[in-house]
Amino acid sequence: MLRTYGPYALRRIGQAVVVVLLAYLFTFFVISILPGDPITSTLRNPENGFTEEDIARIVSYYGLDQPLLVQLAGSLGRFVTGDFGISLRSNLPVSQLILDALGSTLQLAGAALLVAIVLAVTIAYGTQFLPPRFGQGVLRSLPSLFLSVPNFVIGLLLINVFAFGLGLFTMIDTETPWGTFFAALALGIPVSAQLAEVLIANLDHESRQEYIAVARSRGLGQSRLFLRHLVKPSSLPAVTVLALMVGELLGGALITESIFGRVGIGTLVEGAVASQDLPVLQAVVSLAALVFVVVNLLADLAYPLLDPRVTVGGRARAVSPAADQDIRSDLQEEVSIV
Amino acid sequence: MSTQHRTRGRRALLTGIGLIAGVALIAGCASGGTAPAADESAAPTEGGDITFLIDSLGATWIPNNSSISSYQGHIWGHVTDKLIYVDAEGNLSPWVAESWEESEDKTEFTINLKDGVTFSDGTPLDAAAVVANIDIWAKGRPDEGINRIGLFPAANYDRAEAVDETTVKVYFTAPTLSFIPTLAYHGSILLSPETLALPADQQADLSNDIGSGPFVVESWAEGDSVVLTKRDDYDWGPEALNHDGAAYLDSITYKQVAEPTLRTSSVQSGQADVAYNASPQELDPLKDEGFEIAVPRYLGFVNGYALNTTVAPFDDPLVRQAVQHGIDRDEILSTVYTSDWQAAESFIQSNVPEATDHSDQFAFDPDQAADLLDEAGWVEGADGVRTKDGQELAFTLYPNPYLATSQAVDELVAQQLSDLGFAVTLEAYDVPTYGQKVIGNAAIPANEITRSFVDVGTVAGVLTSQKKGDEDWFKVGTSDQTLNDLSNQIATATDRDDRAAVADELQEYVLAQAYFVPLTQIVQRVYVQNPALEGVTYNGLAYAYYLDAYLTE
Repeated sequence: MLRTYGPYALRRIGQAVVVVLLAYLFTFFVISILPGDPITSTLRNPENGFTEEDIARIVSYYGLDQPLLVQLAGSLGRFVTGDFGISLRSNLPVSQLILDALGSTLQLAGAALLVAIVLAVTIAYGTQFLPPRFGQGVLRSLPSLFLSVPNFVIGLLLINVFAFGLGLFTMIDTETPWGTFFAALALGIPVSAQLAEVLIANLDHESRQEYIAVARSRGLGQSRLFLRHLVKPSSLPAVTVLALMVGELLGGALITESIFGRVGIGTLVEGAVASQDLPVLQAVVSLAALVFVVVNLLADLAYPLLDPRVTVGGRARAVSPAADQDIRSDLQEEVSIV
Repeated sequence: MSTQHRTRGRRALLTGIGLIAGVALIAGCASGGTAPAADESAAPTEGGDITFLIDSLGATWIPNNSSISSYQGHIWGHVTDKLIYVDAEGNLSPWVAESWEESEDKTEFTINLKDGVTFSDGTPLDAAAVVANIDIWAKGRPDEGINRIGLFPAANYDRAEAVDETTVKVYFTAPTLSFIPTLAYHGSILLSPETLALPADQQADLSNDIGSGPFVVESWAEGDSVVLTKRDDYDWGPEALNHDGAAYLDSITYKQVAEPTLRTSSVQSGQADVAYNASPQELDPLKDEGFEIAVPRYLGFVNGYALNTTVAPFDDPLVRQAVQHGIDRDEILSTVYTSDWQAAESFIQSNVPEATDHSDQFAFDPDQAADLLDEAGWVEGADGVRTKDGQELAFTLYPNPYLATSQAVDELVAQQLSDLGFAVTLEAYDVPTYGQKVIGNAAIPANEITRSFVDVGTVAGVLTSQKKGDEDWFKVGTSDQTLNDLSNQIATATDRDDRAAVADELQEYVLAQAYFVPLTQIVQRVYVQNPALEGVTYNGLAYAYYLDAYLTE
């Protein structure tokens, strides 16, 4: 396994680097096509009353009057050496802006991921073991509800109820534990939907399998059945969804942070997009690409560990179905206990 | 499968409605309580912290590049002082400058400074410091990314000199009646020479920016908040405020909350004291609940359209006049705004000392407007749109993205003018795109425009293109001799009373030519406030100032 893993991992890391660089280039060209930049849009605010000549001198200081390729070469050169440059909007170093924002976003995204997983697993568990008359239907409809209610609506509802209504947190300090919890809830609820759907579908599929019927007929405990025989085979697609959720968390963080008034990568992006602050956008997009690629890489590397039937390096390995083996040994245990 | 989906959808919908109803109930209960009325006779209490929720903290903190922004201006106003104070009626009074003298020809100015004023790092605010400030307001350091101050009369500026510790002389190459008023402008903030000498990227760190104001920066986080704490040894507030010593409040926290309803709801639920820039529709209900609403006007131009005299159909004065008389300003006030807003009386705000009432020159009169269009040869077609020589009477409006209510106003105007036979289309852009496509574009027929200023002399710079840097709002260039003469007289005036007479003539002329179509007086800063906060003052630029403010609870 290790022999096939090495080249496989190396190839994937190479791909990751290319993806990050392409994201960097793509951002550069997309932003460059758009009209304006933060410097001129600030200077052109009629309130300021600057002449075109004034604007041109400032713009020239920032090198924005240089040809595109010269700007790109400079920016790429700095990027490769780990220098993200100076934000055009705030004139502060981009690395400082990102470092200041990152902690809050990681906290929010981590908490939201936890919320999403707990929610999804709880819902999925409920759909299998709650009697159909007592809420199973409601549970099954939850994921589509979660998906159909926009993130910002959930956020505004939570703020209205828990901040303004119950006073658990305030808009002035949303980084308190309660503030973080509700922001994570707002972000985690829609994200949990896909995971729950996939878990439910797989659990439904697995529970129709013969070995489960056998296990049930032998009186295997419910939790044990769920954890040992249903979750594991159902978790492979869930890992894929989990990896994709990282993208959703990054995107959702943008809205959640700005609604909850948290400073993070999301609000940083929001400000940078609104003002076309290229150095900040490039750094954040590259960072996001990096995170996304790394997470997906980890997911890919985790597959073979979850299910030996997954092929690595293009070579198929014939393995007897894991579930069957497990169930056999488990049944033996149960029988011996009886 | 499809039925199952539909059932799920319906269930989801019902659950959602239940949730929303529940939330509305709770929110309703929470905001039901009205804050107790403040005791007017109570003496100011020391101490207290207030929270000011703001839509944005703007872009950079480089003082010259940000101090006249609508957002950062709040913070600069408390961290720094100005030489002169301007009140809401445009009256100038001493602040850091104790007195000033002007030469007969208004080219030399002497500023006498208050003794003992210091920056918060202990260095003196003396004549040398003032000279360093005036120099950078006039010139900036554009090669290092530091702007000059946009409205400073830079074209005439020669030099500033420190005569002694507390006396500064400033020289101009031509009469500059606007110099002294400009010292009260929100861009003209006094910073320590050490701050001014810093490179742009270090000035962008707010904690490096040292002023002499009643508050100092305690902490700040980019895009999030700025916390100001009071300076105990402060004792040189504007004379007009009659306030001795330091501020009453201990701290002011400016916190960015982008969503407008969250700002007002925070004040409603007692979690914050001031919500900046609520939408006009929210104001009346808040007032009914007992919250303080302040809609101070700034000195400057009203909100309205500068018409481009070089493009059809506005190359014809009759059509321009038809637009003036075709707009129902009362409907704009009652539909888009509240009773706190006022109709325009001229193209400058009525609190500008030189403003005179010319509202009859552009009164709403649809019959007169229709007659004017008939006279100009525009004939109404079957579809209600007027045509002339095969051309439709059409133009495009570009809502001003710097004004939240602009699009609503433009939609209403488009509707009102279409009743007269105009075909008006709207194209709305965001700030960067607007800057690229609309500002400075000579083909735009009507520019929705407004601007604050502290001196009516500024008007001259927008009317023609006689001087380099003139904005030529109506694209008349130098073709209108009357306009040239009037704006020259305004620009080179050496006496305020004489200039006021010319200003009246100029307003009459510009409106008679229908170069400018006034809409409403501008309110660009709206404050929703906890009634327990007393003693707030608003200067001529409509910024809230908390030197004299205190909490009654």
